Amino acid sequence: MNMPILTLLVALPFAGGAAVLLTGRDRASLTRWLALGISLVTFVLSLMMWAQFDSTQGGYQLEEVHSWMPDFGISYHVGIDGISLLLVVLTTFLTPIALLCSWESVDQRVREFSFFMLALEAAMIGVFISLDLFLFYVFWDAMLIPMYFLIGIWGYDRRIYASIKFILYTMAGSVLMLLAILWLAYQHQVVHGVPSFDLEALRTLAIPGGVQTWLFLAFAVAFAIKVPLFPFHTWLPDAHVEAPTAGSVILAGVLLKMGTYGLLRFAFPLFPQAAMTFAPYIAILAVIGIVYGALVAMVQPDLKKLVAYSSVSHLGIVVLGLCAMNVNGVQGAVYQMLAHGISTGGLFLVVGMLSDRRHTRLIAEFGGLKAVAPKLVAAFLLVTLASVALPGTNGFVGEFLILIGAFNGQFDVTNARYFTAVAATGVILSAVYMLWMFQRVNYGPITNPKNRGLRDLSVREWLVIGPVCAMAIFMGVFPGVFLRPMEPAVKRTVESVVGSGRPANTKVDPVPPKKAVVVAEVR
Amino acid sequence: MTRTDFATIVPVLIVTLSACAVLLAEAFRRAGDRMPHGLFGIIGLGGAIYTSVMQWGLNRTGFGVIVADDYALFFNVAICGMGLLAILLSSGTAERDRLPLGEYHALMLFSIAGMMLMGSTRDLLVVFVALEIMSLGVYVLTAIKRSSEEGAEAGFKYFVLGGFSSAFFLYGIALAYAATGSTKLDEIGLLVASSAQQPDLVLLLMLSTILLLVGFAFKVSAVPFHMWTPDAYQGAPTLVTGFMSTAVKAAAFAAFARVFLTALEPFRSEWLPILSAVAGLTMVLGTVVGVAQTNVKRMLAYSSIAHAGYMLLGILAASTTGKAAILFYVVAYAVTNLGAFGVLAALSTNDRPHDEIRDFAGLWTERPGMAALLTVFLLSLGGFPLTVGFIGKWYIFSAAVQQGLISLAVLGVLTSVVSVFFYLRVVVMMYMTDDHAPGQRPAAPRIALAGMLIAVFAVFYLGVLPGELLSVAKASVTNLF
Repeated sequence: MNMPILTLLVALPFAGGAAVLLTGRDRASLTRWLALGISLVTFVLSLMMWAQFDSTQGGYQLEEVHSWMPDFGISYHVGIDGISLLLVVLTTFLTPIALLCSWESVDQRVREFSFFMLALEAAMIGVFISLDLFLFYVFWDAMLIPMYFLIGIWGYDRRIYASIKFILYTMAGSVLMLLAILWLAYQHQVVHGVPSFDLEALRTLAIPGGVQTWLFLAFAVAFAIKVPLFPFHTWLPDAHVEAPTAGSVILAGVLLKMGTYGLLRFAFPLFPQAAMTFAPYIAILAVIGIVYGALVAMVQPDLKKLVAYSSVSHLGIVVLGLCAMNVNGVQGAVYQMLAHGISTGGLFLVVGMLSDRRHTRLIAEFGGLKAVAPKLVAAFLLVTLASVALPGTNGFVGEFLILIGAFNGQFDVTNARYFTAVAATGVILSAVYMLWMFQRVNYGPITNPKNRGLRDLSVREWLVIGPVCAMAIFMGVFPGVFLRPMEPAVKRTVESVVGSGRPANTKVDPVPPKKAVVVAEVR
Repeated sequence: MTRTDFATIVPVLIVTLSACAVLLAEAFRRAGDRMPHGLFGIIGLGGAIYTSVMQWGLNRTGFGVIVADDYALFFNVAICGMGLLAILLSSGTAERDRLPLGEYHALMLFSIAGMMLMGSTRDLLVVFVALEIMSLGVYVLTAIKRSSEEGAEAGFKYFVLGGFSSAFFLYGIALAYAATGSTKLDEIGLLVASSAQQPDLVLLLMLSTILLLVGFAFKVSAVPFHMWTPDAYQGAPTLVTGFMSTAVKAAAFAAFARVFLTALEPFRSEWLPILSAVAGLTMVLGTVVGVAQTNVKRMLAYSSIAHAGYMLLGILAASTTGKAAILFYVVAYAVTNLGAFGVLAALSTNDRPHDEIRDFAGLWTERPGMAALLTVFLLSLGGFPLTVGFIGKWYIFSAAVQQGLISLAVLGVLTSVVSVFFYLRVVVMMYMTDDHAPGQRPAAPRIALAGMLIAVFAVFYLGVLPGELLSVAKASVTNLF
């Protein structure tokens, strides 16, 4: 089959979004169904993409190259490897769920809402499949606009502040990356006579060490803001808290992964030497983020803010895995990216359901929900445990691999194991704040009479949270389904970084898993 | 006078004639009659575009001072295009604003003739004459709304300060003549190149360079000669502001780049630090002060100052990419800004100017189309991808990066992030605030709406497929400098 499936994956949601805009102003339900239908077709299309994907190959597949601005070495070059494959599927999986979860809560300007959601999906998929840096940047920045409107129009009270903070923060980082991209393209011209923005072409460029440091920093800061890595995280709690549920789900589920994806796909492979130099420092920031995010999450009175800070903590773990730059660490990181997308997406969905019912998100307002809405609480429990990384849920696999990887990390400093130890305490802390929150919200007597008549899950809500719960367990029980396609790509990426950075560290073989299991049992 | 001589000025002549036609039509108009002034202008500008395109690649010169090289022709077409767009956008809105239509169109066409001449001459004296033709038209246009006090103040301010800067410019020409005995750019260039051994000559030329820089910096509203910009932009009728922020700037940059990159090119190491400082300050001041504005026209004035700073990067880079980037940026900025001012003009009426940021509250619910158009234009001004503003910035910053002007490029991108803040303030008002009593904003006149749609099409088309225009821009500068 010679269908340009990747292009379709971007074009379909975008064209569908435009079509949604054409529906009548008063026909909200038609608009909703149309948008949902388009996002479901996109999901099916992404599964077809997976079916065509050859999991044994590490290189890019399903590539499409069309010349765009040939004089400047810019082409429309898209393709996927095992890493981007999974992230695209994550995006297409979460978008229909996000649309479905706003079925009732978004009743104003449904057309525009659906358009922005679908446009956002198109841009996010575009980011994951771009193999040309110019194209990548276009999608990267274009994505901000729909998210800005989603937060700013359909968000909560301080939505305007949050939306502007979100867009300015992200742009401030990314414009410097743009300059670095321009420099790279020009360097290609100096060396080869023609400019190029192609990732693979630029990867082979020899960049002098001093310049590499600056370029790497320009890229790394852009991605660190997106991740968000401590201390660049301050936009995140605002954006998460003020965004509508669908926005939070996409923000936590997909957008944050773009930062870690960017580090893995662009920053590390393009500047391997600088990456190896800076990896320990990034790892330190990641570890600080893990503990700090967890500690701050613990004292949040607001459910959404708690989940937002837990994202800071969890994404710190992902970055730690990336910085380890060995197969275990990176594979764990990618897995954790997916797992976090599912479990935190799920948490935001549940919080959104509570907030729809009670119009508050304060933990103190709840209590004893188990008695009135047992099904909702069951789903809540499941996503909470997935977030805490209980063995058997998706969170466990990723964190486990990351900790193994980090323990044997490729750091230049000798105390990699201390990093891992501190990071592991963050994992324990995550159990503390999540379970404590869960206990306060769901157990005990019903202290607030308003909670007495709380509705349990409706059919629609089952359809929203059901797939998320199923996926959380499926990913925990059959991690191979997801680990297999990404493994060759991860190996290839790690080799390209470590191989050209400096002689590969020899201690890549995993420690006996026993030690790490101890970590898991402690939780 | 040969036919080739004549051919080089045909485009300017056509525009001038159409301006005369508008004046005549106005003179014979009976009170109460309507005259298709705009149509005269459209025919004239269309003819000028056609005759310019026909001469593409011929590299003609005329009368010893006029050049019709690709660079000049590019600006001819661009400026006439801006004129066309401005006329389309002002159809209906200018009447609503009670502007005298005959004078409005005639002055606009006369100043366009001056602008076209600015880019197509290689003699400093002709540059000066062209500059004055252009400026006088625009001074009057600024104050054309006679009942408006702000308009009178703006016109007066613009005129006095403009006259002042013209004097500087003229003095610069005089000093250049004193040093080299010529006002022709190529002859000056030769002498400048060989002047290194004569210190007194260098001093004269240095002074001349600085004075010319002052004159140009005033016209492109670069810091510290930008003081007139906010007042003139705010006080002038909205579409006049749109016209002068784009076409005047384009023409000024056409002459600026030609003078500094041909005659004064050998002096580059001397003026580079001065111009770098000017560019840096222009970008920073334009954006930082722009943040504090509450009036959209004034805010767009500061944004135009900032954009002038970005365009200066192209002159600083001085490479083929840099020069081509100026050409592209001029067009990019023009379609975007004219579109934005078109929306502003369509929303205001004679008794109710619609230009404070708070006036835009809830525009989305009342006039969703206008809100969407303005959003696109503002995002393009902010340089978001898929719009032409992004391509313009990308190109000009890549020119800067290639020439090693890293710190200016960093300053440029950071200020453009700051500028996003104030563009988005309007978007916030339109989409995220609703405290506006509905039903007060007029519908856009049909032809003006067509103008806006053309502009928005250009914003997206050139934002996604800029390749052709980029290569045309590149071709227009390769043979020249």
